[in-house]
Amino acid sequence: MQSIRNKGLMALISALLCVSLAFVFVVNRAAAHKVSHDAETLQAFTDAFMEQVILGDNLFHGAPMDGINMSNTGMACAMCHPFSSDVHPHEYPKFQEQMSEFATLRDMINWCIEKPNEGEKIDPDGEAMKALEAYIYWSNRGSVLDPGRH
Amino acid sequence: MADNKHDRDEVKRNGVVDITRRTFLHKSLLAGGAVATGSSVGFFQTLSSMEVANAAMGESFSFAWVSDTHLYPRELNQRFIDKATRAFSEVQAMGDKFDFMIFGGDLAQLGDPVEIELGAELLKEVTITKHFIPGEHDWYLDLGESWNKHFGETPWTFDHKGVRIIGVDSVGRAPDYWSARGMTDHERMGHMSALDGSQAGPWSGLGKEQREWLSSTLSDWPKDAPVIIFSHTPFWECYAPWNFWIRDWREVHEIIAPWQNVTNIHGHVHQPLYNEIGGMRSIGMLATSWPWPYAPEGVPEITKPMLRVDPGDHFDGVGWGNMNMSAEAHVDHQYMMWREQVFGYGRADSGTGDNVNQKLSPRIADRGWTGD
Ligand code: HEC
Ligand SMILES: [Fe+2]
Ligand SMILES: [Fe+2]
Repeated sequence: MQSIRNKGLMALISALLCVSLAFVFVVNRAAAHKVSHDAETLQAFTDAFMEQVILGDNLFHGAPMDGINMSNTGMACAMCHPFSSDVHPHEYPKFQEQMSEFATLRDMINWCIEKPNEGEKIDPDGEAMKALEAYIYWSNRGSVLDPGRH
Repeated sequence: MADNKHDRDEVKRNGVVDITRRTFLHKSLLAGGAVATGSSVGFFQTLSSMEVANAAMGESFSFAWVSDTHLYPRELNQRFIDKATRAFSEVQAMGDKFDFMIFGGDLAQLGDPVEIELGAELLKEVTITKHFIPGEHDWYLDLGESWNKHFGETPWTFDHKGVRIIGVDSVGRAPDYWSARGMTDHERMGHMSALDGSQAGPWSGLGKEQREWLSSTLSDWPKDAPVIIFSHTPFWECYAPWNFWIRDWREVHEIIAPWQNVTNIHGHVHQPLYNEIGGMRSIGMLATSWPWPYAPEGVPEITKPMLRVDPGDHFDGVGWGNMNMSAEAHVDHQYMMWREQVFGYGRADSGTGDNVNQKLSPRIADRGWTGD
């Protein structure tokens, strides 16, 4: 390690650093929430999330939804993926062997809708997809993030 | 380090199993890192040999196992019909070899009489003697009415070439989870049919009456003579949250413990699964319909896990069973799969080895989650 000999330069650097940090701090504060989160607020956030998890859980277990048709075989995702096992959300994005391309979880959800389920692809940014994603991630929470793994 | 876990399991597994000629052969292949595809029998692959070592001597014979066809009505799903038909015609084509065929349950998907009749129709393809035990999917719409009408009641027993053969009902005796909650017949069946559901409770078991029957059925049988028990669900605690096993397995083991040569052959798990508890060997059979992933906790170390399944290939990870009772009273078992490779050993190829980073939670949508 080379030591910095010029004390003047060092002082200047620290001064600049302080100013810029202060600046960042002020800007951030301006954009952030001013109230701290009470238990009720946090519960509302959780409820909003869990509502999606439950919707996704039902879709994953074959419940119908207007405007989509995820299966033409009678099969639901959960029949092959109990507890959303072997879906491996923690491994995405990755090179997906079945598609021979780099893929996201949403890509592979649609692939499984089309292949084993012989259903119709859903909107990758639509309500059903987000709910499925919520359920799949929730069921696999605690799994070790390992993107790219086969 | 996680990468090596599975390899360590293999080493252990090699050391645990009794070395009989065929397991030794298989294990040698395994040690060489090869995937065991074995030799071909006609257009089938001879894929696995699992053996149940016994002391007694008898006459050798073979039988076939087919289960878990999960038929839907014809208009809805042709794929499962195709696979069931393939299994039945393969059994029939080898019919001379088999003394009988066992159908191990889950003929239907939702217990619908239409599905059960369709199954009975397809089963006519097989003209050798057939024996039947029910699965939960056959039962919970009309509580066994259609099933019993077509295939007769369970349990049953007969002696065949020195082996006492027993078929039990491990599905139809669930504690009543429907009346108090006012479920319709379809709701009752729906909850039962979800493997990862919570509403049907721990439904699998033999129950007191049937355990007494089992006990008296065995009572006049020599303790060293071979016994084969067919059940839909296994006689050991393999993964409680998925309702894979009979809840009264301890009581059942107490009953069978004095017999030194008991093999339990079961369906329901839709995957190769093998275990030994006391003197009992347990062999899990394939479905023809679809394969299930292994339980999150993995498999007993003496199970050779199946290869990760290709979800784009309907004939992958499924098939039927070809069993041979040797003159030395060993049950040799072959998984009759429709794809060349069956067992996966390296982490990336194994149906369990690839799941070292996976942690799962039970579902909640069917538990009436209220937000706290
Ligand atoms: C007939 C059985 C079957 C059905 C039905 C099915 N899948 Fe799959 N799926 C599989 C199998 C088998 C795999 C491969 C698992 C592996 O590689 O370990 C798989 C893999 C996946 C993967 C990729 C996992 C990975 O690591 O590569 C995702 C994501 C997935 N499925 C989502 C779904 C969704 C969502 C549905 C419902 C729309 C669904 N699956 C329905 C059998 C099925
Ligand atoms: Fe089944
Ligand atoms: Fe079953």
